[in-house]
Amino acid sequence: MALIIGIDVGGTHADGVLLDGDQVLTKNKVPVDQEKLSEAIITLLRSLLPEPPAKPGAIHLSTTLCTNAIVNDALDEVGMFIQAGPGMNPEFLNCGDHVCWLDGAIDHRGKVVKKPDQDLIDQAVARFGRERLESVGIVTKFSHRNNGHEELVHDQVKPHFAHSSMGHRISGLPNFPRRVYTTWLNAALKSRFSSFQEAMDQGLERLQLDCPCHILKADGGTIPFATAGHFPCESVHSGPSASVMGCLALTPSQEDAILLDIGGTTTDIGILAHGTPLLEPYGVTIKERPTLIRSLNTRSIGLGGDSAVALDVAGFTIGPHKLGPPMGFGGPVPTPTDAMIVLGAIEAGSRQQARAAMALLDPEQPAEEVAGQLLAAFAEQVREAVAEMIEELFDRPVYTVAALLERKKIHPREVIVVGGPAQAMAAPLGQVFQLPCTVPLHFEVANAIGSARTRATLQVSLYADTADGSLSIPETGCREKIRSYFDMEDAEKKVMEVITALAEERGIGTLPEIDFLERQEMNTVRGFRTSGKIISLKAQIRPGLEQL
Amino acid sequence: MSRCMPSAPTSTGLVLFPAFDWCISPTHPEREERLLYTKDQLIEEGLEDVNNISFFNPEIAAHHDIDRVHLCVPSSRKLLTESHLISAGGAIRAARAVMEREVEKAFAVVRPPGHHAMQTVFGDRGFCIVNIEAIMVEYIRRHYGIRKIAIVDTDCHHGDGTQDIFYNDPDTLFISLHQDGRTLYPGSGFLHESGGPSAPGYTINLPLPPETSEEGFDMAMERAIMPILDAFEPELIINSAGQDNHYTDPITNMNFTAQGYARLNRRLNPDICVLEGGYSIEGALPYTNLGIILAMAGLDTSHVREPDYDPANFVQPPEMNSYIGELCDQAVALFAGREQLRREQAEQGVVTTDKRIYYDTTGFDVRESRSYHLCPHCPGFTEITAAGLDRQVHAFSIPFNACPRCHTRAKDRFQKSSGDGHSQVVLQDRIDDLYELK
Repeated sequence: MALIIGIDVGGTHADGVLLDGDQVLTKNKVPVDQEKLSEAIITLLRSLLPEPPAKPGAIHLSTTLCTNAIVNDALDEVGMFIQAGPGMNPEFLNCGDHVCWLDGAIDHRGKVVKKPDQDLIDQAVARFGRERLESVGIVTKFSHRNNGHEELVHDQVKPHFAHSSMGHRISGLPNFPRRVYTTWLNAALKSRFSSFQEAMDQGLERLQLDCPCHILKADGGTIPFATAGHFPCESVHSGPSASVMGCLALTPSQEDAILLDIGGTTTDIGILAHGTPLLEPYGVTIKERPTLIRSLNTRSIGLGGDSAVALDVAGFTIGPHKLGPPMGFGGPVPTPTDAMIVLGAIEAGSRQQARAAMALLDPEQPAEEVAGQLLAAFAEQVREAVAEMIEELFDRPVYTVAALLERKKIHPREVIVVGGPAQAMAAPLGQVFQLPCTVPLHFEVANAIGSARTRATLQVSLYADTADGSLSIPETGCREKIRSYFDMEDAEKKVMEVITALAEERGIGTLPEIDFLERQEMNTVRGFRTSGKIISLKAQIRPGLEQL
Repeated sequence: MSRCMPSAPTSTGLVLFPAFDWCISPTHPEREERLLYTKDQLIEEGLEDVNNISFFNPEIAAHHDIDRVHLCVPSSRKLLTESHLISAGGAIRAARAVMEREVEKAFAVVRPPGHHAMQTVFGDRGFCIVNIEAIMVEYIRRHYGIRKIAIVDTDCHHGDGTQDIFYNDPDTLFISLHQDGRTLYPGSGFLHESGGPSAPGYTINLPLPPETSEEGFDMAMERAIMPILDAFEPELIINSAGQDNHYTDPITNMNFTAQGYARLNRRLNPDICVLEGGYSIEGALPYTNLGIILAMAGLDTSHVREPDYDPANFVQPPEMNSYIGELCDQAVALFAGREQLRREQAEQGVVTTDKRIYYDTTGFDVRESRSYHLCPHCPGFTEITAAGLDRQVHAFSIPFNACPRCHTRAKDRFQKSSGDGHSQVVLQDRIDDLYELK
């Protein structure tokens, strides 16, 4: 059985595990300086290496590099080429000061309405050059239907800039503003990611490690380190995804289930439908920018063990802020952790201070009473957020009569909890959810385990228009002619071919089961006669665990 | 609330339900493909992420919601498929979103449409079986106690179904502007069709000449529709937002544009829009629907232009302008005289009218006779007999605004009538919300 190292970098420390199959051989934790990420990771890696001559077969890394760069505004300036065409006024698009608005357009069916003006492109290339920009992003509306204009601009600007990103390569989904933001972020992260990559490569070399290295994505999957260099944006928001996959690895479930990762200041919620984590319809929203970065459907609420607590007639207010450590650890205000100390669910900390915290909230009642009520209120707030998420899932738009009639609500059968306060919260959570509540073994390194056990994901989208005789698979830049009798079976075959080739390119050994999604086939009729068919089909390797 | 996406000044709900698996027949204009490109455009624009724009799935209307409005023969259960219940449910969902203040305005982009469906329903006519606006209007009245409602039908075809349903209701102002009935289906919608004896002047038809363009619609809005609406003072304005006045529509002859639709909508300022026709599915609907949505939401519509849009193509000849101007004057005069007409007509006791209704989709006729039992205090009640396809219905329909005396009178009449085995007898009681059959 191959040995795998999984690493999850968090805000203050990085966790790592060495796994042999599903057995945890070693686990470790090191503090992290976000400015020197690669050093911390290499240090952690070294401590996890198996006894020679054994060597790890793969390294899986969930890193905060890109997320932090975005949150801290440490992004590169990007020169953007944007073709918006008819529609909403695009001026709201907020991606820096270097934007070239291209004229021309591609319509909803992928037909070229008008090519962009050459002079505009030339002028922008010169201007961006003078401004010493190194990275450019190119996005057109409907480029998932026809990438022609993005490719056209790309061919011309590529020689002038170190990095370039095109919208259609990152995602085959519709949604122009998201495509613009995704492309912009991707372009703005490229130089930072490549420095990180270089530092990591050197570190790995020093450790004499030559095994494949994979980066965790927000969608509960991995991508090879080398490929991630082209799509650094894929590495954002991988923490919640590591946590979901960790829960899944530690507590395999075939049911609808709720996954909770309770931390110091936040609780991350994930949902399983029949044991499979659910995805966001489009992608993650980061720093108020909606994107097409494929992501698991998770929600973070400002509720954690160290959240500040107050009590008034309306009940407990927990979070969203943290005002220092819990009182039991010398902090200034009562927190849920204090309640856990009072109830004996946590051994550490000053019991006396924690009791004082409860007395601050309500001097009339015994500390144990207050503590119990506080944790019940905590659990109730989690339950409300979960209920809202389940409602939102049910309310996702559908477009066919069959889909509307077949909608099913998620009915969770269990709650799986990880994170620091997991054990203390299991009982109150079980109480409010009225469901069995599991805290898996090794829950404190769940994210690192999730990172290690996660397999690669892929998605490709096919759009074929037989009236027009064209086929497009944006993610691979494929655009080709098809015959008039191209049908769904051909589409499936084509998609399989492409996804197999892509899997090979990304070093995915045995191809897991491919899901076909959003199968849609529609006759186009012109003048009371069928003129062709529009076929669209998506295929994916769904987020899942590497089979042992 | 994302600061990186636009915010709609007016919060707007969208029920976008293209029903990709439903058609009248595979090559019919009302087929699966109809809203494909519209959906593609709306999604690609990123409307789902615009602050203050919310998407809702349709609900499924109950047969009871249908029976509140229609007299379906043999029954709503037999005539309607789930698709019709969903389309009506889409309109209801839009209304509910507005009435329950989830949003300020809402647009039901649903199909199949409904404005050719009359009160009696024997089958499909003009691509419609049930009138989704009318079902929505009576739902609103039933659940939210709204009385005065204006429906402005901007579909290119005369909204003859909606006109029929509210013909004798002075609490519903129905205005239809459409291509002149002498040149287009359903061939009705002239100025003299102006309301039943209890509601004269409350149906306003503006039959516009073929090739009417932005200028003509602007004129109709400014000189007739807006002044009439202001005088009526509705609690709620509904737009039957058909989009087949577009210059690229294959089954009509008008010359209207996405910019024009957006402007019309901004001026009309409807609370709820319901999609009706519109069959230029690639060249018009993606742009007209987007224009209407952005206008409702108070967002900039200046970039919503068809790829081949050129303002020079939309100049009207002066004769057309003066013709439309005159039409507007006549409509305003008709509405101004409404109260006097009503007083004159209320004296008449019972007024009976007959008509023949043609069901074009499968091709058959229904003969209908309607007796308005008038009352000086309310619109009275209506007795309807209709026969077609070897079936017959004899119905007593009590409007929501009938007085207690008329309510009782109609129920008594129903009790005394007996079905003869061949004809069903129906009581449609909108006051007690009952639909009884014998």
